[in-house]
Amino acid sequence: MSPGAAASGRDTLMKVIVCLRPVPDPASRLFVNEDRTWIKDAELSFVTNEADTHACEAALELCERVSASRSEAGEVVVLSIGRDRAARVLREGLAMGAARAIHLADDDFEGGDEYVRARMIARAVEKDGGADVLLTGVQSDDLGGGVTGVMAAELLGWAHASVVVGVNAVEAGLRARRELEGGLIETLELATPCVLTIQLGINQPRYATLRGIMAAKKKEMKTWSRGDLGMAAGDVGSEGALCQVTEVRVPERDHRVQMLSGSPAEAAARLVEKLRLEAKVI
Amino acid sequence: MILIVAEHADDRLKPISRELAVLGRELADDLGRTLTVAILARDPASLVEECRALGPDRIVTVAGDRLEPYDPDVWTAAVEALVSEDEPAFVLAGHTSTGYDFLPRVAARTGRPLVPACIEWQRHGERVVFTRPVFNAKMHMRVTPKGEGPCFVTAAPGAFPPREPDEAGSGPPQDGGEPRLDAFDVDLSGLPVRSKRIGRESAAAGALDLGSADIIVAGGRGIREKEHFGLIDDLAEALGGAVGASRPVVDSGWRPRDYQIGSSGQTVSPRLYVAVGISGAVQHLVGMQSSRCIVAINKDADAPIFKVAHYGIVDDLFSVVPEITRTVRALKGQSPPVGSAGSGRESD
Ligand SMILES: Cc1cc2nc3c(=O)[nH]c(=O)nc-3n(C[C@H](O)[C@H](O)[C@H](O)COP(=O)(O)OP(=O)(O)OC[C@H]3O[C@@H](n4cnc5c(N)ncnc54)[C@H](O)[C@@H]3O)c2cc1C
Ligand SMILES: Nc1ncnc2c1ncn2[C@@H]1O[C@H](COP(=O)(O)O)[C@@H](O)[C@H]1O
Repeated sequence: MSPGAAASGRDTLMKVIVCLRPVPDPASRLFVNEDRTWIKDAELSFVTNEADTHACEAALELCERVSASRSEAGEVVVLSIGRDRAARVLREGLAMGAARAIHLADDDFEGGDEYVRARMIARAVEKDGGADVLLTGVQSDDLGGGVTGVMAAELLGWAHASVVVGVNAVEAGLRARRELEGGLIETLELATPCVLTIQLGINQPRYATLRGIMAAKKKEMKTWSRGDLGMAAGDVGSEGALCQVTEVRVPERDHRVQMLSGSPAEAAARLVEKLRLEAKVI
Repeated sequence: MILIVAEHADDRLKPISRELAVLGRELADDLGRTLTVAILARDPASLVEECRALGPDRIVTVAGDRLEPYDPDVWTAAVEALVSEDEPAFVLAGHTSTGYDFLPRVAARTGRPLVPACIEWQRHGERVVFTRPVFNAKMHMRVTPKGEGPCFVTAAPGAFPPREPDEAGSGPPQDGGEPRLDAFDVDLSGLPVRSKRIGRESAAAGALDLGSADIIVAGGRGIREKEHFGLIDDLAEALGGAVGASRPVVDSGWRPRDYQIGSSGQTVSPRLYVAVGISGAVQHLVGMQSSRCIVAINKDADAPIFKVAHYGIVDDLFSVVPEITRTVRALKGQSPPVGSAGSGRESD
């Protein structure tokens, strides 16, 4: 039995909780909302944050490998904060193969920053009886902060590794490969329980099969409100946030760019002429 | 006081430390505060000289065997101790694999605000408002930290470029004289070891060195399939340049890891950089934005790559790129190579 499981008296070999964030489809056209605090997102379609699909795949592979080598079952649990959109990404996670889902939904959760979400994630993990590993994406495609997982690790009192491009279970816990700048990779050994933030490209996320989608409908999805998490109204949403959004806006276009128009052939001819005679680079 | 946590490797400051000094000095001067640089190292003395050149009012050294190799638990404990002793208004680190790895822990431990990936700041009365890119830099979000007490900020690499040494008015401000040098004593030896570095390697050792290329044509996810990447090869060949790629191209296995340009790949500054079907995420831009001439071809006029480009074409890359290749070849009197993979997409 893994140390995390032993500590919490759980009987599964390895329990992995994966955070899935719903984000607007990256191909969406974006417009700032009326009060300039976010985008108009009511009409947009939402998908699972790209890095989180890699995290979900990493969780499934980790449990599969451990089950194969030690013939005991692992469990993958998916977790998401948000309204219906969050329920939708959770169903995708279940269809990929997660065993059950936890949906944190409450009107009080609107707004909020990375710190608030990290607190909610940590609370939910504790309420669910802990885990051996908590996985998040390296960063969200919309906010791009890349800090929620590390904050959750701190609030849980667990070790962590960020920007992980490889992970394996070993005797002492986990062995993780972490990406640094300039193509450097470091290998770490981490004690469990721990948090990993999963980098793009670590794996090829599996597609949900029709069978997986059917099976997902029968799987358990718990919905927890603010009260269930034991948090005060002032701890969540925009009230609990430590940073207040002052304004969201479209950045000014830098005037130095010359846009070359016309048919593809005309634009190409203009470009080549500019590169030769104006920029003098070819 | 404004506190900077310097980053270093092999007894040298990393470039991000100089960028932090730019942001730190701006904030300190505007708010009428002093600027402190903290060096966390096994042997900080070797870095003090270089830190003087950053122009701080004070240098504080934290020494300890546990500080190298980097361990987030140890750096978190050290910085938390510094913060509770000195109560800085702002604590700055890089938005790097070190900075975003430990600073969120310190912020969460102290329950104080954190602004990640900051690119700009402004004063609004008594408050400082920070700007961070969101939606892959298609939007900017301004945030105001709440409450009193330290606020933590990670600065996006490249956002606060230091001035060239030969520019007027640069270099450390000498008017304040020599910075004060303090040693800060904190016992880190008793912290449990929860993560241990057991190896370090280069992911793309050897092969392709794009750093010295004069001309680079780089393809991104807009290419859509491995088979179409020949378009990029053809244009590069016509121009006599090298081929590069954004991260998704490499992650998808269309090109090997050593083609990747950006924060986790190679840094390049060729005479001409042509970005094809690349959106211009911050992590890509830091690897190429110092190129002398940048051309962007993208069907999305709002793509952030156009903010660093000199010339842009907003159109379908599959119709534009073959035309550019043809025009360049005609100009140079080249004939297309036999079996060219480039022009097979017009029917799409
Ligand atoms: C820690 C970390 C490190 C990273 N390091 C790197 C790095 O070193 N290098 C790097 O590149 N990225 C890196 N990234 C990833 C980065 O955040 C982006 O995800 C990535 O750069 C996006 O690549 P892209 O522009 O090719 O793809 P996308 O962002 O998907 O953009 C594709 C573009 O193609 C355009 N397009 C699509 N079809 C067409 C068409 N037919 N004609 C014309 N245009 C078209 C679209 O409009 C879009 O702008 C890193 C991320 C993290 C978190
Ligand atoms: N609303 C959410 N629900 C579940 N997980 C989330 C949510 N927001 C952020 N996360 C997790 O935190 C990671 C990092 O997010 P960020 O710090 O915003 O870049 C994401 O990749 C997710 O795994």
